[in-house]
Amino acid sequence: MNNVKKLLMVTKRSAFVLLFILSFVLPLTLSQKIFASEAPAQVAQEGPVSGVPLPQFEGGQMSGSSQSPEGQPVTGVGTETAIAAAAEEEEVAPVQYRTFFGIDSRLVLWIVSELHLMFAAFVLGVPIFAVIVEIVGFKGGDIKYDKMAKEFTKLLSAAFATTASLGGLLGFCLFGLYPEFMGHMTNVFAPTMYVYALMFFGEAFTLYGYYYSWEILQGTAAKKWFHISLGVMLNLFGTGLMFLTNSWATYMMSPAGIVPATGKVLSLYHAMYNPLWMPVNIHRLIANVCFGGFVVGAYAAVKFLGAKTEEEKAHYDWMGYVGNFIGVGALIPLPFAGYWLGREVYSSSPVMGNIMMGGAFSWTFIIQAILIGMLFIGVNYYLWLGMGRIKGSERYTKFIKYLIFVIFLCFAVWLTPHNLPLSGEERAMIGEQYHPFSKYFGVMAAKNAVVNLIILATFFSFLIYRRSNKGEMVPFSEQGRTGKIGIFSALIFCLLMLVSYAVSLNFVELEANIKVFVNPLIRALYIQAFVVCLAAFLTFKNKGKLAQTLLFAVTACIAVLYFWYYAFQVMQKANLVLRYLSVTQVSIVMSCLIMNAIIDVFMFRKAKLVGGIVWGKMPVRSQYALLLLCIVIVILMGLMGFIRSGLRMDWHIYGVLQDTSPWAYTPTLSYMGRVVGLIVVLFLGLVAFVFWLANLGEKKEKAKPKEYKYEGAEEDYENTH
Amino acid sequence: MNKSMLKITAFGIAVIGFYIYITIYVAGLSGTGGGESAGGVSPEAGEKIFWGDGQCSTCHKIGTSGSATRGPDQDGLAGRSEERAKELGLPTGLDYLVESIVDPEKYIVKGYDKIMPKVFDPPIMLSREKILAVLAYLQTLGGELDISAIMKYKDKIPEASKKKVKPWVAPVVVDAKEGEKVFFDETRPVTCGKCHVINGRGKKVGPELTGIGAIQTPEYFLESILKPSAKIVKGYETMYVITSDGIPYNGLIKSETEEELVLLKEESGEIEEVVIPKSDIAEMKKQEVSIMPGNIGELLSVRDFYGIVSFLQSLK
Repeated sequence: MNNVKKLLMVTKRSAFVLLFILSFVLPLTLSQKIFASEAPAQVAQEGPVSGVPLPQFEGGQMSGSSQSPEGQPVTGVGTETAIAAAAEEEEVAPVQYRTFFGIDSRLVLWIVSELHLMFAAFVLGVPIFAVIVEIVGFKGGDIKYDKMAKEFTKLLSAAFATTASLGGLLGFCLFGLYPEFMGHMTNVFAPTMYVYALMFFGEAFTLYGYYYSWEILQGTAAKKWFHISLGVMLNLFGTGLMFLTNSWATYMMSPAGIVPATGKVLSLYHAMYNPLWMPVNIHRLIANVCFGGFVVGAYAAVKFLGAKTEEEKAHYDWMGYVGNFIGVGALIPLPFAGYWLGREVYSSSPVMGNIMMGGAFSWTFIIQAILIGMLFIGVNYYLWLGMGRIKGSERYTKFIKYLIFVIFLCFAVWLTPHNLPLSGEERAMIGEQYHPFSKYFGVMAAKNAVVNLIILATFFSFLIYRRSNKGEMVPFSEQGRTGKIGIFSALIFCLLMLVSYAVSLNFVELEANIKVFVNPLIRALYIQAFVVCLAAFLTFKNKGKLAQTLLFAVTACIAVLYFWYYAFQVMQKANLVLRYLSVTQVSIVMSCLIMNAIIDVFMFRKAKLVGGIVWGKMPVRSQYALLLLCIVIVILMGLMGFIRSGLRMDWHIYGVLQDTSPWAYTPTLSYMGRVVGLIVVLFLGLVAFVFWLANLGEKKEKAKPKEYKYEGAEEDYENTH
Repeated sequence: MNKSMLKITAFGIAVIGFYIYITIYVAGLSGTGGGESAGGVSPEAGEKIFWGDGQCSTCHKIGTSGSATRGPDQDGLAGRSEERAKELGLPTGLDYLVESIVDPEKYIVKGYDKIMPKVFDPPIMLSREKILAVLAYLQTLGGELDISAIMKYKDKIPEASKKKVKPWVAPVVVDAKEGEKVFFDETRPVTCGKCHVINGRGKKVGPELTGIGAIQTPEYFLESILKPSAKIVKGYETMYVITSDGIPYNGLIKSETEEELVLLKEESGEIEEVVIPKSDIAEMKKQEVSIMPGNIGELLSVRDFYGIVSFLQSLK
């Protein structure tokens, strides 16, 4: 064992030691609180008694603006119970805080938790696509995919130990600096914390098993499937871990399942399955894949820029392309998941929703819009540059100028603030809260429309990239059964999605005068369903390109132009319908993307190649585009973390446990910018260091490369270059 | 470090630097400044608190901004406060404003109720600095800003309560979602949603209850449900109208023009509109009885009752 391996092992072991200590310390220090909470919880669950009389009031006994005990019910069993409950509530000692060697505790916790989250996002996101890439390599018999999947896992293995170490540090900081808050959290979530620790072991064992058994489990299909199943298990443990911790974080935003005054747990299930749990789960799951993809892309870019040979350049160019492809693939549904999350924030607390979009945090979404705009521009720029390494792409470069126009237009609309900062006098002059011109671009109706347009434009960029070196196509009718089954399956899926939602809209419970606003949505869904059918029919008739054009045109007309106008009408007259409109918009765009992608795959399946892809022939600036994407997604994660956490304002647990520390104020944007900037520098620095460590061992092993090839593989790695 | 790594590092720092610049720029644009903490004592900070954290806009509007009618319209408040100060024998209008916040029940504007909470107490809990900022903003509503004068009142304003919020506990714990169902259930003999709007759902006959949990206590909800006439929100008083034919009507005024009056009256649990020509009205006066049925306590089960309270409490 060489020194580097020893060093790696020490890092990994230290993480385990931390985790091990933590798993013992937490239950020991808090066991009293945990057990104390169980008995009263049981009593509380038995609380509802049938036949409890309603409280009766005596004249002048109530005070609407006070919280005095006089205001409570005065007679009957209910009153007695309430008085008894009040008597039980002794004055609770004030929330206690400690400082971190004189440093602002919140700042310390902010940095540590954000770093932990970023590493965790990478560690949870990468295995998802590593396993998929491995399966693709195995099923296609292409060894280069297998090698890349292993390279992804190597990075994962190195980052995992750092994630665990940061997790341990975060745990100690939380318990040390915010003891009462953590006391409450442990009271509520103690049982899940044990599950968390066990699942962490599961993840650690499957991760290292997955990585270290890569070579051993080669050779036969059975061995390979066993290896893949290890990867699947790794993902299951990882996702489970994330869901558990998300329940803790979302409980802080939308607490449920407890008696707020005493913290008595009434239902752990409800505390976990609080209103924001599932939206955050889905959003983070997709965001982690996106994050992992872009970080891997940046890793490949760094290796590309430092490559000494053409072969190395070709490999890392291809790896960067795959990383970017994964990042974009996850980036496209991310706004939809984000919208759902935002909507649920509004539903769970309108005040929090207003703080988010119309209050203290509304300006952070301007910064978010800039960052997301940078991501989409970066992604498209990389794809356009990538066309340069494909012979035959010249035929499509004419579209790029239009795409640039569309993307920058969308960017501009997205940047338009929801409301300009008007003073009271200005508002009075205008006569309404919104600016008379900018309101058409600043409200959600416009933003939803351009999000969909930017997604369609990016998808179009990807399609022209895909077909850059494709020439004469084999007519679809000669493609055999696979093509027909593929198109038919996509058609059924899209129809189910569109029609089932259209049918469900008929049954939404709304008042008649509001429900009429739902009818155009139903019609739009049926029109799109018809167009999807027509596209499938045209494809069967060997007119796939016409089918794709039709899909793009109709989708853009309905989901972008019409809904831009209609959503504005809905906002003014029937705001409740807006949520159904957004889902309709998403369904229509998704059906276009799915159907178009499947048509494209089968239309060009056996097309003649007009030129090959020269991997490695990429300008240096393309690699900087990959680096930009990585830095921006890391910044974005830092920013969104600040927003999600900051929305609670001066509450540790919203409406239940107040933050009375000196750091309860909301920081200014500039302060937030500096802190997030520092976190990003620390994260990227740590990632670079960890990846450098992971590659030290590889350099020595490179002298003796080990190649293997599956039976039936059409080409090996070397032949692809 | 080789050359390419140096370039990559420089690029990374440039991108992060650009981001920090954007945040500083947007902070300037948004008026939150570049300091370490938000706000400070300024009318801009006060305006934000008025429409945000302070929850003031739940009850007060300012001219055309906002639509709340529970409390007085604050348009031109600074001018009026000088007059009120003279009326009450206070030295300045600012003394009146401070008193209104520190002890809101001391002077009640005619036609309004004692519903204003102490904003430094739970659940709003504004800090002293934030209250001073709101005062600065109120001073600009028809008056001239004088920060140094405001700062002299610093010690008169209590610091926000540091005690833990101890919300009222219902003797029967019912999930808010269960209460929401009851609130909007139209199959019941009494449906709250027929008269109250919450987040766009329901009918606007009585006061809108969106966000009510953030400003009112559970005791207030108990009283409002069981004794709806104890406190009637401004603008929702029942009108008693007798026509020249001697027909009496009790109801809320939906609209009023020079020619006619539209009343909303309750009939067997349903709300009906009655149009009365002004020329037919013999007598019209405000009633001290709410249009809201007074027998709701008899129509709800215990569980449903506390469910509704729990639901209203959750509307934050």
